[in-house]
Amino acid sequence: MNTVIALWMRGLKAFVRNKTGLIFSLIFPFFFVYVFGAIFKNDYIDNPISYMLSGVIITTVFESSLNLASSTVDDMVSGFMKEVLVSPAKRLAVAVGQLLSAATVSTLQGILILFIGLFIGIKFTTWITPVLILFAMICVGMVFSGVGLFLATKVRSGQTFQIIKTAVTMPLTFLSGAYIPLAMLPNLLKYIAYVNPMTYATAFFRMIVLEKTSLTNAELVKEGLAIDINGFIVTPVLSLIIILLIGLVFIILSTNSFVKTDFSRLNRSSNDASALWG
Amino acid sequence: MKPIISVKNFTKAYGDFTAVNDISFEVEEGSIFAFLGPNGAGKSTTINTLCTIFEKTSGTLIIDGKDASTQKSEVRSSIGVVFQDSTLDAKMTIEENLKMHCVFYHVPKKEVEERIQFVLGLVDLLGERKKLVSALSGGMKRRVEIARGLIHYPKVLFLDEPTTGLDPQTRAHIWEYILKLQKERNITIFLTTHYMEEAEICNKIAIIDRGVIVAHDTPYALKKEYTKDKAYITTRNGPELERLMSQYEVSYVRKEGYYKADAEQIDRLLQVISLQKEDITDIEIKKGTFNDVFLEITGKKIREEE
Repeated sequence: MNTVIALWMRGLKAFVRNKTGLIFSLIFPFFFVYVFGAIFKNDYIDNPISYMLSGVIITTVFESSLNLASSTVDDMVSGFMKEVLVSPAKRLAVAVGQLLSAATVSTLQGILILFIGLFIGIKFTTWITPVLILFAMICVGMVFSGVGLFLATKVRSGQTFQIIKTAVTMPLTFLSGAYIPLAMLPNLLKYIAYVNPMTYATAFFRMIVLEKTSLTNAELVKEGLAIDINGFIVTPVLSLIIILLIGLVFIILSTNSFVKTDFSRLNRSSNDASALWG
Repeated sequence: MKPIISVKNFTKAYGDFTAVNDISFEVEEGSIFAFLGPNGAGKSTTINTLCTIFEKTSGTLIIDGKDASTQKSEVRSSIGVVFQDSTLDAKMTIEENLKMHCVFYHVPKKEVEERIQFVLGLVDLLGERKKLVSALSGGMKRRVEIARGLIHYPKVLFLDEPTTGLDPQTRAHIWEYILKLQKERNITIFLTTHYMEEAEICNKIAIIDRGVIVAHDTPYALKKEYTKDKAYITTRNGPELERLMSQYEVSYVRKEGYYKADAEQIDRLLQVISLQKEDITDIEIKKGTFNDVFLEITGKKIREEE
């Protein structure tokens, strides 16, 4: 348990200390809000700023949890993970610590954007909304921390991993409806969006932020908050269940994979690594 | 003295390649033991297997009565490891690194502060405890790692090439700390090195080459067995010196401008010298070095640098 807390604190400290990283993590979301908000101003959406911000917040939580959990790879390359793994600390506790710290930091980033969003257009009519938002962000943070850690245990080289990560996050972000409404996508991309877990996370999260919980299915589809797959309506609640299931699978897979991974096989970037690892 | 590390018939193979081939050795409690050998000889493989990071192919490795492959957790609690490359968290301060280590090793909370004081005092870093690791020099980082490896009071400290890549002054300091440590806490120190002069400070040495231990003894005994003292003599009268050395059965080699003579039978050499003292201009006696030992045993010089 102490190991979990220690690693969790480590993640939080690193986040607070990285001031430049923090500023840039705030600049990009608002840049996207501005650009895409201007492009997709249309009649379907009555509150474009809130609409865009909700998408941007959830993709930020998604990207940053994935990045942070998979930064376990950096810990392996830098050697820190070796210190952890040669200690009597339980590997399961290490995995949970990494997951929790990634989920927490990404949620904090989401909260920061939301907080700024309050000044530029997001409005809540009930106190339940922020509570639900927090809950949704933590869920999405945990889910994609699981995915990130899982990826981290599967790589063998730090450099290839950067490429894989971009190749995974980019399409998942842009084909989720967060920036570009699904209705505007060509059919092929639409089908890809249907199998993208981020599509469901975005729909669910957006419904909460826009406070559209009381709409009928048809209205939800019209606003892009429910997904209509050839007549089958995926409601926001169903979306949440899908997300949580995916998350559960990946959290189990990633902890299991982390406990079993033979980290001595990881190809460290420095040249004397081969000597080090025998 | 009972052995704290006992390795029997240890073999480690990667596919067709056998990195370590059926080695056995013991390390006495409280001693400094060195593994000496060129890169790729199997030093790191052995140390990593003892530290429970690698899986053995066969054999038994016992540390402090616990098996390194079946009782990993117990072994991990009783050892400290300083790896060849830094394993510190560069984004954290020295103090935070040490505290985190204490958590991993279940050091009682109320003892943490006292132990931090102790280990940082040992490596002269008390004043830098709030500094970020990323701001430290290579030598300081190594000292932090040694301090960290000790803070949970291990019975055995493993040092994989503790001084590689450090300047001579820092190397000397690191050795000061290691020796101080052995004296003050009676810790067993197991290290690998390819610096010959470092091996000489140790109590016991095992020379490993191509996965096999080719010699295992005290530095003194190894030198005695594998090296000969040599005398380097410069003279104005070469032919006369040669004649005398043949007469007194001192073996020699003639070199460019000087003679290299066997100085093991010092009485015979002294007679030669006393008979030729008017002509001899310079004598230098050289003791055998560990390089000679290594050369003698493996037939090749150990690489001094990577």
